[in-house]
Amino acid sequence: MNAILLIVRNDMKRRLRSPVSVICMFLIPLGLTLLVGLVFGRHGKVELSHIKVLVADSDKGIAANFLKQGMKQGKLAELIDLVEVDSVAGRSLMDRGKASALIEIPKGFTVNILDRKPVVIGLVKNPQEAFLPLIVEEITETMAVMIDGAARIFEKPIGEARGMLTGGRWPEAAELAGLLSSAKPRIELVKGYLSDTLISITSETVSAPDAKPERTFNFLALIMPGSILIGLLFISEITMRDILREREAGTLARIIAGPVRSDHVIAGKMLSSFAITLVACALLIAIGRLGFGIAWGSPLKLIVHVVGSILMCVGLMAFLYGFIRSERVADAMLPVVIIILCVFGGAMFPYEVMSPAMQKAAVFSPAFWVIDGLKRIAIEKTGWGGIAPHLAIVYGLGAVTSVAGAAKLRGKLAGKE
Amino acid sequence: MIEVRELVKSFGDIHALGGVDFTVSEGEIFGLLGPNGAGKTTTISIIAGLLNADSGSVRVSGMDIRKDGRRVRHLLGVVPQDIALYEELSGRENLHFWGGLYGLSGKRLREEAGRVLDLVGLTDRADDPVREYSGGMKRRINLSAGLIHRPKVILLDEPTLGIDPQARINILDIIRDGVSEGMTAIYTTHYLEEAEKLCDRIAIIDRGKILAQGTLKDLVKLAGEGNLVTVSGAFSKEQVSPLLKGVAVEQLENGSLRMLVPGQAELSGALGRLFSAGISIGEVSIQEPSLEGVFIKLTGKDLRD
Repeated sequence: MNAILLIVRNDMKRRLRSPVSVICMFLIPLGLTLLVGLVFGRHGKVELSHIKVLVADSDKGIAANFLKQGMKQGKLAELIDLVEVDSVAGRSLMDRGKASALIEIPKGFTVNILDRKPVVIGLVKNPQEAFLPLIVEEITETMAVMIDGAARIFEKPIGEARGMLTGGRWPEAAELAGLLSSAKPRIELVKGYLSDTLISITSETVSAPDAKPERTFNFLALIMPGSILIGLLFISEITMRDILREREAGTLARIIAGPVRSDHVIAGKMLSSFAITLVACALLIAIGRLGFGIAWGSPLKLIVHVVGSILMCVGLMAFLYGFIRSERVADAMLPVVIIILCVFGGAMFPYEVMSPAMQKAAVFSPAFWVIDGLKRIAIEKTGWGGIAPHLAIVYGLGAVTSVAGAAKLRGKLAGKE
Repeated sequence: MIEVRELVKSFGDIHALGGVDFTVSEGEIFGLLGPNGAGKTTTISIIAGLLNADSGSVRVSGMDIRKDGRRVRHLLGVVPQDIALYEELSGRENLHFWGGLYGLSGKRLREEAGRVLDLVGLTDRADDPVREYSGGMKRRINLSAGLIHRPKVILLDEPTLGIDPQARINILDIIRDGVSEGMTAIYTTHYLEEAEKLCDRIAIIDRGKILAQGTLKDLVKLAGEGNLVTVSGAFSKEQVSPLLKGVAVEQLENGSLRMLVPGQAELSGALGRLFSAGISIGEVSIQEPSLEGVFIKLTGKDLRD
């Protein structure tokens, strides 16, 4: 045990004296994250914008006003930015992609509704947008159903008040009283259907007591787990490479010539690599928190997941170095291995934007489980159950690769190279 | 103290050792003398436990290195041919690490590090990084790392390679002083003068086999009573050989001829025949029986070839 700690202490001292290689590997993930940060701003937060909807109202009647006002009320007001235009201007703006959709309310819209005649609302959608125009279409359809429903229920009183509703003027108080009096029986009739429904919906947003309503999404929280994984792989690689360097420098032979067991030598090297990678990872996480505003979630879950991930990376590198005989081979082979792991794991491009085929392949990359685990902890704030498979895989793979790597390296040392 | 029996080692098609056999007594400096590629480093590496022999055995203080490897390694100190130090650490930090591996710690470690630094004369540079040391200084720290734990047996693989004569003398003195305190040493070299000055017994090794071993006196006797005569001038080996029947003649790179002449009478006769034949001789040098002569006789070539 003393020999292991001696080797670890010696390696840490050597790294402090000559940290260039580790710093360079640390700068890779940091640089990637900084670049993304520059693109998306300091906190990487993406503002969820209003849906810009143009409305060309050729009717100006109460039904048209009802439709327009409905889109400016309540929750819809937070979502929709409604701009009134004339039809020609509206079409021009849509041609230039300046809005998500254009609603064209035809002349005679209100009259036709009151007369219970079919009427068509035009909806022009922006082809460059996939989702927002569909949302507008849904809202418009809902509003149309509501207006149609109301027209059916209050057909008689509406008929009596027709002059008021189509005159383009707001009714006087006495006229309104008469209208409501006429509508009262209708209201009584539908009261049974409109009130005391069996199904109700309550809405709740889970948040801290003093949390502000969030209309932003920290994009860096999606990117940085991948950057961290890149850092873990490269730093564990460069630190495990020390076995090769010491072999070529002759110091490894000198250690083996001493009264030290070869498995203690290997354990010391792997522990050094683990310690340095852990420090680097802690720094990256701290920079993510303090520099990019990423809320990493539960510290305990984060620590447990990170420790397992580093164990897996160090074990993997130990295993690979059991086969590599020179730095030249390491230079040629290991960056390729790391990049493949990173690409398939979702470090280069988020898993969410991968093709279905790639997403299926991703689960076979150990990198995926590291990155997805970090995202679940940071973004989804998942419980232990949510990361249980991830922990099982990183710790399991870590144990297997560490044992296999140590055995391979011990065999190399025992074979006395 | 050390018994090496019938060591055989091959690296693929290269037969590095073909049955090396020798014994080293306690308190003795045993030299392994041979050219590059003779098998000296391979032999040392096997004794140090860095290589496994294909066959044969090595016993140190009665312990087999294969069965009691760790216990044997406790007794050994190794000074490798290549400088094996951490260049980014200071001399002292290197010694603390290497001493720590052998179980030294705390005050004792610091004292022993100070002792060997003093022994090699590097106390005032002890806290500078090794990468700032000269070649000779690196060799001295390399040596001190093998001595810090006061080993019973020190294995030195060409410890003076590439350093100036003064530094070499210094290192030889250090080794001699260490041995006088009870250490046993195996010293490999391809410098004849080192082997002559330092070693109590010498084994001449070439192509993986020990050709002869014994004290310097014993080995020189093997060369016979002859003198080593070097003759330079305007002639070739083909011109001279017929005139020197019965004498081993070797042509050197610079065109000179080297002959092992049995005695004074034969020497006069040989030179007389050369002069009579009109051979133009520029210079004649005569060397009394030495290890070099032994080596040439046994291998047919110069150690420097």
